[in-house]
Amino acid sequence: MNKSVTVVLAVVVGITALLFGGKFLSHPKEAGLAPDFNLPVLEGSQSKTLQLSSLKGKAVLVNFWATWCEPCKIEMPWLVELQKKYGDQGFVILGVAQDDATDQEILAFAHKMKLNYPILRGDNHMSDLYPSQGLPLSVYVDRSGKVVKRIVGLVSESDMEDAIKKSLEQGSPGGNTASAK
Amino acid sequence: MKTKLLISLAVTLVLSVAAGAQTRDKVTADPISPVTVRMGSRAPLEIRLHVQPGFHINSSQPLTPELIPTQVLFTPPEDLVIAKVQYPAGVLMSFPFDPNNKLSVYSGAVVVKATVLPTPKAAAGRYTVHAEVKYQACDNNSCYPPKRMPIAFDVKILSAGSRLPKAKPTRTSPHIHN
Repeated sequence: MNKSVTVVLAVVVGITALLFGGKFLSHPKEAGLAPDFNLPVLEGSQSKTLQLSSLKGKAVLVNFWATWCEPCKIEMPWLVELQKKYGDQGFVILGVAQDDATDQEILAFAHKMKLNYPILRGDNHMSDLYPSQGLPLSVYVDRSGKVVKRIVGLVSESDMEDAIKKSLEQGSPGGNTASAK
Repeated sequence: MKTKLLISLAVTLVLSVAAGAQTRDKVTADPISPVTVRMGSRAPLEIRLHVQPGFHINSSQPLTPELIPTQVLFTPPEDLVIAKVQYPAGVLMSFPFDPNNKLSVYSGAVVVKATVLPTPKAAAGRYTVHAEVKYQACDNNSCYPPKRMPIAFDVKILSAGSRLPKAKPTRTSPHIHN
């Protein structure tokens, strides 16, 4: 093959890989360990910050939301009920506000929605750890710290409940530890 | 010949990948026609936005305070004032994520109008006005972070005595048949 053709093809492959690579590789893989974080708690916990890895042994739903996100508002009452229903089985929701609003505005919103789980202040680093184009973003983490499901956008309450059950079952000593698909 | 064909195929591939990356913008703006205004006078300005199919943005007056209004934020040079910014009325719509509630939104084409005025101390000449369109878009089950889209347009200030150039005749739409 002509040398110049080889060079052109190599450049094309390189550019294409760069453009697409970021898109697919930057998302945390399901069944991989959930990226750890330590974020300021606005409400719902005695501690000033909360680290994901400190919740090992529990099933965790990391729910990213914002005050300007209407679909996020729709799922909040479901989350409140699901926290009540599965909390004593070791299920914890962490609400991460990815928002430019002030702490006071976020808290006022959380009070209005009667949220019964810790509200954490998100930041740009979280957007890097858990990249997503849209909100809500729900990342379900099992008791061993592995991501069992990642859902962008609003889904039904029963879909959320199924994912919670999966995260409670997987990663526990007696549960199914197989990788999620 | 073979080499040329391969190169053109490669270029096409790269361009289409790049174009795909650019179509992620939920809102685009048409290029803004230059504005010509005489000292002591005023001229109309139109900014035409397009919300991509499948998306909506909040109107300039959303129904709840948490929602981010669509705004055009102008930063004109000292010689110009952009006044009377007029936004279209929002359309009240409900969406699958909350069929029982309505939101005041824009979708499709959105035209924002304003008036351009030279300040009393303005000097004749050409100016560029920079602005940002602030919006927050959603689709039927997700919302996307607020964005600021930069736009710009040129303004020519003529001295008080000079004549404005004749307006070009409006082109008749090919879809209109008399």
